[in-house]
Amino acid sequence: MTPRSAFLLAAAAVALARTLPAQQLVTSSDSARHALQRLSWGPTPGQVEQVAATGVVRWIEAQLAVPAVGDPARRDLERQLTSLRTPTGELLAREAEARRAAVARADSGAARPDATRMRQANPLRELAVEYAGLTLTRQAGSGHQLAEVLADFWFNHFNVFQNKGLDRVLLRDYLEQAIRPNALGTFEALLLATARSPAMLFYLDNAQSVAEGADPRDALAQRFPAMRNRRRPAANDPRMEQLRQRMPQGPNENYARELLELHTLGVDGGYTQDDIVGVARILTGWSLDRRTGAFQFNAWAHDRGEKAVLGQRFPAGGGREEGERLLRMLAAHPSTMHHVSSKLCAKFVADVPPDGCIDDAVRAWQQSGGEIREVVAAILRGPDFWSPTSVGAKVKSPHEFVVSAVRALGAEAARPQALVAQLARLGQPLFQQSAPTGWPETQEDWVSSAALLARMNFAVDLASGRMPGVRVDLDRLVPATADHGALLDAIDSVLLAGAMQPTTRRAILDEIAALPDAAAARAMAVGLALGGPDFQRQ
Amino acid sequence: MTISRRVFLRAGAFGLVSLGADPLFVDRAAYALGGRGTRGKTLVLLFQRGAVDGLSMVVPTGDAWYWRERSRIAIDRQQLLALDGTFALHPRLAPLKPLWDRGMLAPVQAVGSPSLTRSHFDAQDYMESGTPDRKSTTDGWANRYVAAHDREHAETPFRAVAFGPQLTRVLAGRAQARRVGDQRTFGVPPSHYDDDARLTRAFESLYQGSATGLVASSAAEGFDAIRMLKDADPGNRPAEHGASYPRSRFGQSMQQIAQLIKADLGLQVAFADVGGWDTHVNQGGGEGQLATRLDDLARAIAAFTTDLGERMRDVVILTMSEFGRRVRENGTGGTDHGHATAMMVIGGGVRGGTVYGRWPGLAPEQRHEGRDLAVTTDFRDLFGEVLTGHLGAASLDGVFPGHRPAPPLGLFG
Repeated sequence: MTPRSAFLLAAAAVALARTLPAQQLVTSSDSARHALQRLSWGPTPGQVEQVAATGVVRWIEAQLAVPAVGDPARRDLERQLTSLRTPTGELLAREAEARRAAVARADSGAARPDATRMRQANPLRELAVEYAGLTLTRQAGSGHQLAEVLADFWFNHFNVFQNKGLDRVLLRDYLEQAIRPNALGTFEALLLATARSPAMLFYLDNAQSVAEGADPRDALAQRFPAMRNRRRPAANDPRMEQLRQRMPQGPNENYARELLELHTLGVDGGYTQDDIVGVARILTGWSLDRRTGAFQFNAWAHDRGEKAVLGQRFPAGGGREEGERLLRMLAAHPSTMHHVSSKLCAKFVADVPPDGCIDDAVRAWQQSGGEIREVVAAILRGPDFWSPTSVGAKVKSPHEFVVSAVRALGAEAARPQALVAQLARLGQPLFQQSAPTGWPETQEDWVSSAALLARMNFAVDLASGRMPGVRVDLDRLVPATADHGALLDAIDSVLLAGAMQPTTRRAILDEIAALPDAAAARAMAVGLALGGPDFQRQ
Repeated sequence: MTISRRVFLRAGAFGLVSLGADPLFVDRAAYALGGRGTRGKTLVLLFQRGAVDGLSMVVPTGDAWYWRERSRIAIDRQQLLALDGTFALHPRLAPLKPLWDRGMLAPVQAVGSPSLTRSHFDAQDYMESGTPDRKSTTDGWANRYVAAHDREHAETPFRAVAFGPQLTRVLAGRAQARRVGDQRTFGVPPSHYDDDARLTRAFESLYQGSATGLVASSAAEGFDAIRMLKDADPGNRPAEHGASYPRSRFGQSMQQIAQLIKADLGLQVAFADVGGWDTHVNQGGGEGQLATRLDDLARAIAAFTTDLGERMRDVVILTMSEFGRRVRENGTGGTDHGHATAMMVIGGGVRGGTVYGRWPGLAPEQRHEGRDLAVTTDFRDLFGEVLTGHLGAASLDGVFPGHRPAPPLGLFG
């Protein structure tokens, strides 16, 4: 953190402290609960009281002040993971090997596995599952909760689909090197990191975007330097026809379009199809090295003509640097500030983001030059965040539901694979949103009959210790007792911080009345409390 | 049912709430009203993932270039099932021939997407979103259709159902769609309880009682779904008329769709996947890899039409694939990614017995980029015609945004 941002942060904390007494959340425990619901992956047992006792402002301040994503307390744990340790080049080699083996199997007469079956047979799948599990345990276990929430928010904003080709391998570096280190930095740095990331370049096809008329022979010369000294194949060589068919042709506008529509300006951000073409031409040649998985700028593929985007001229003869200039320009554009601030307000405050929240965030963005910490701090000290109408006003996504349930029970997920599978079952498979829009933030998209019943099934399974690889110790949370009234009091206080509605309480009491065994009644009651409506809100 | 359930519910809810009646009762009453009379039209979408070689399904025997370009994988003339002077069916599609003879099968040649992508992933995405070259569309065209036409059809929890392990894009969106992954449960998550009625009851009382807005109203539909399934018990309906489904996953999906149709639960759009069409290597001709896949496809569809019998009057099957394959075979006895392909429309109300779609020809100068079968029918026009002609869509506004429809092929009416 720069001294300047440390100063701003301190100022933000003072401002927060000033706002708090005015807000209408009655007790410090109410505000602690609200802050933990929105700024973390959900409170752990006793955490609401803890945060209330030490001060909500102090907790938020500490959450905003963490240096970068990655809780040092988890470092030793993570060092053992193969999915984190294996070098990218090795993973890519294995991926290529798996592909060759599949083709060889087909050549030998066995049926060629189609894309779906290949996906399942891929030996990299295990590593992908391990990495997904790691992501869930970080969210459930890290002390840097706000940073983990923001990392997930940014990944979703700059979504990449894990099941598209090389992204099975490249996704890890995308998160570890582009998203996580920049989750609390500047928006500009984050945008540049995603634009340069091989995962994004591959996902939205920019890796294949080449200038109109680019000569594939130049690509060959770059890939096989020895060829430079040899005679180039003639343009009418029959082998050239084959090569031409396999080579990308012309600029690809996919990334350019999503960059403007989703990542920066927003769909109404004031750009035209001509701007999209300009952006695509400026970014021709931004590609990756398929052996190392590193960013690579292909000069041969870059369009060196003059371009214009949003009225700005990019003179002829430019190279890689004009793309960087473009991205910096987009990061600082007023439409971007508005679009991204609005998404942050929808995330932290309400599905329909209040104008006041967006204004505060945009102002902080302008003043700080796009420091994410300052923008978030501005949202958190605004009246909208603390308004009683925003308390419990958002419905958890399946992802938020699963992680918050694990946290609420203080469960230990030694093998989080079962949780990864649950996310898929609940309709939000981790890293598997195929559209670049990411997952939706609004409750209409998540609330459906089958989805809610599935959530309840999950909650009851989790509370009853039926989730393989996940250990739950209910004795540490609520004592098993034949006094069901007392049991419900304890559950309300420990799991819901007192938010249980009378109807929920009655329904659970009715349900467990017939269960003679105290432990069974407790597990059922806890499951129903987590699967019930009160726990779906945040 | 002439009054949509939603209208009934809205009209009835105000009066009943004040009387303190159970809102679930309203739902049940609405269904009772509709009862067994809710036999609407059903559209069954079958996605041949992996890009099927349309030139091997509906073979252009009358085009000399077919024989010239496919010396290794062209299908033996003796084996082909002639449709007209120009086209013939692959021999392993023989189970579909009776449907052609009865005028229920309408193959459409040279259908495809305006998008030039050769990526399976992207092309499937576009065909399901209905917005070629636009990746940011999050919902599917079938869902948009269902969402936009909810007043014209009875609304039930089983209006749009996808069969198979994956969440399917074409049905994703605002309108409720179910997914049936498990063969037994028809999309209702199984419970581990000895007495699973208990969990259902607990679920009902929890969500019904709370004033949680959306959560409560949508949960009511969940209870309905469970009850309706228990009453109708579609899984126990045996195949009729001597129909015998292949034991493949696709065959099972087709049988489940038939069961759900026969249960009269208001199924309007069903979706199933059938994979294995990416035949780059050793594609085979009349026999071989592709023939085996076609065999499964044809036997399952034929069993489905036999099983449903006269109900096929109200059912249309539409097959689709993300793109076709190269005209010329490649060096490994297969075909690489191409452009247009063939699709099939099957049903009692279809004007079958004719091959539809303008045939662009296979001569090099007639091909797309000199290599591929050119697209003469935009897939959105074909799909739109099926929505209008079969489901009776009054308007396709918003279903295929930005697309200006071409004149209909004449598949219906």
